[in-house]
Amino acid sequence: MRIFRLELKRVLKSRLTWILLALALIFSVLLAYLPTTYCYSSYTDEAGNKVSLTGLASIAYEKEQQAGASGVVTPERVREAVERYQACLTAYGVTESYDLPEGVYEKEILPIAPLLHGVKEAFADPKTGMAPAIMEIDPEQIDDYDSVCEARIASLMAMEQPDSPAAQRRVVEMYRQVEKPFEVYPGMSSTITDYQNIMGFLVLLFCVVIAAPVFSADYQSGADDILRCTRHGRARLGAVKVLAALFISGTAFIFCAVVFILAADSLFGWECTRTSIQMLYSIVTLADMNIGELQCFFAAAGLLSVLASVSFTLFLSSKCKSAAASLASSLVFCIAPAVISMTVPGALSAWLCSILPASGTSIQASVLYAITDFQFLSLGGLAVWTPYAMMGACVVEIPLFAFLAVRSYCKHTAN
Amino acid sequence: MELLIDHVSKQFKDKTAVDNISLELTPGVWGLLGANGAGKTTLMRMIAGIMRPTSGRVMYDGVPIQTLGERYRDVFGYLPQEFGFHQEFTVRDYLAYVATLKGLPERQTRRRIRDLLERVSLLDVSGKKISRLSGGMRRRVGIAQALLNDPEVLILDEPTGGLDPGERVRFRNLLSEFAHDRIVLISTHIVPDVEYIAACHAIIKGGRLLATGTTEELVKLVEGKVWSCTIPAEAVPEYESKLQIISLRNENDGSVSIRYLAERPCGAHSAAAAPRLEDLYLWLFPESSERRYC
Repeated sequence: MRIFRLELKRVLKSRLTWILLALALIFSVLLAYLPTTYCYSSYTDEAGNKVSLTGLASIAYEKEQQAGASGVVTPERVREAVERYQACLTAYGVTESYDLPEGVYEKEILPIAPLLHGVKEAFADPKTGMAPAIMEIDPEQIDDYDSVCEARIASLMAMEQPDSPAAQRRVVEMYRQVEKPFEVYPGMSSTITDYQNIMGFLVLLFCVVIAAPVFSADYQSGADDILRCTRHGRARLGAVKVLAALFISGTAFIFCAVVFILAADSLFGWECTRTSIQMLYSIVTLADMNIGELQCFFAAAGLLSVLASVSFTLFLSSKCKSAAASLASSLVFCIAPAVISMTVPGALSAWLCSILPASGTSIQASVLYAITDFQFLSLGGLAVWTPYAMMGACVVEIPLFAFLAVRSYCKHTAN
Repeated sequence: MELLIDHVSKQFKDKTAVDNISLELTPGVWGLLGANGAGKTTLMRMIAGIMRPTSGRVMYDGVPIQTLGERYRDVFGYLPQEFGFHQEFTVRDYLAYVATLKGLPERQTRRRIRDLLERVSLLDVSGKKISRLSGGMRRRVGIAQALLNDPEVLILDEPTGGLDPGERVRFRNLLSEFAHDRIVLISTHIVPDVEYIAACHAIIKGGRLLATGTTEELVKLVEGKVWSCTIPAEAVPEYESKLQIISLRNENDGSVSIRYLAERPCGAHSAAAAPRLEDLYLWLFPESSERRYC
């Protein structure tokens, strides 16, 4: 414990560590606030003037306008919303809401917009995947909304993964287990979770920068020669260094994630976190959770990813002879999931992005996007949903690379 | 207490850094003499257990040091040639960190650090970052860390590099005091640093052990090869071109007293001089001075 305390003190005494931890905290607050600045609404007041609102004022305005849509999204309420939409557009002789005269959308459609989320997607053509206009939907069909959504996910999987019947079966099973009817509490957008992803990725980078020199800098400076000649200077010191780096990274990530979620939810309104994930993303999203649960789940996945990345970084550090080499190689692995997801096609990309430690909170290829996607890893007759694969890989990688780092440190001798 | 270096060799690709060295180190101060690149550091790293010999083994009290592991490191102190440290550490924090790794109890640590800092004259800079200290001061921090666990075996690789003359004297006194009943091995190419405190010396060259023995035993190897004479000042260049001159001293009468190494005296006016360890070193490592033959 004393060695652990002193190792923590050693790492935390570094100016670079403090700068990075402070930056992580600042980014957590900033990234929670930034999505509010993109909110924009406009309406025409009683005097006929166009009023534009941005930021928190816009959020408050939309919440007020859509207050009536809040609550449980029953098929009846969706049907009513569709009928009201169709009646409005018919009355003005248009087929799309953006053709409505000025001020009509804000008055007639905006209040019911949250209930219309996902309707077009649910009625997409099973063969082409093309979504119809709301005007083309028969409101009577909405009475069996759950079955429509179930049919939609089945047709989507048949279209996207025709060679994986196991995945198709698994998806339908998973979607049946999602609690319905959904709930919606307007005010929040998916930008918040995107920014949580960016926050997680930045903290991951900072933690990797802190961890990269843990072993390699000692090799480079020669400090290691003295330390490994002491009683506890081999396996115990190696283990303590790994634990201290994981502890600092884990604590930093948890702290930043908590700050981010508290700040974001306070700005957008805590009631919004009760919105079902299907009412913010695809109506056929497989995860049975609301936005608050998604934020926590994603934070947990991010934590696992950060710990796995730091563990892997420590392993690289124990193998490299200079701090620059360990830092450069670690950073390559941090951005690898994003590069792979953009360049490598098909199943190989899914496999690589699921296995790499940084995938959990990487840009473009994170657990967040995996949750809202329908990708499965097929292995024989087994189909594993990629968010589970990513988190499972991290759970295995944390102790594995930690062990390999300590082992490599113990075996490090100049030959 | 005995540290046995048993037919130890170290091969780096096509270079033999240490070639079949056997040496039995007993309590006392040992000087390991050799020119740069002679294999001193490689040998010391193998004794420290941070480099594996290609062949041979190092044993402490009859047991290989790899087998002893923690027990060996418990009684071992080491100062490498390059004293590496974490940039953020203050002197006191660094010593506390190393003391903890050496397994010193927390209460004892503070007292021990204070005592050592006093002995190496660093008490007044104990709160300063090591990176801000002078080279000599850093070297003294290195010496202090090696002594923290009161080791039975102390290995110091070029410990006096960067120390000023006063610090060198204090270091020699500290070691003489410390060496009682302990094995202390000091590698250096600065002969006076070990000449008077080392009971025995081992001289290595090209990775091979050339000679071992006490100062008196070793200087016998150059008996009859050290000469002195007085020459006119204008003759110095001529003598320098044909002799391996060890020292030159200007006399008040304008003449110059020289000391030189040669198989036989150069001229009838040369007299045999009492050999010193440094003379042997220069005889064995002629590249350290300019060697010419008379």
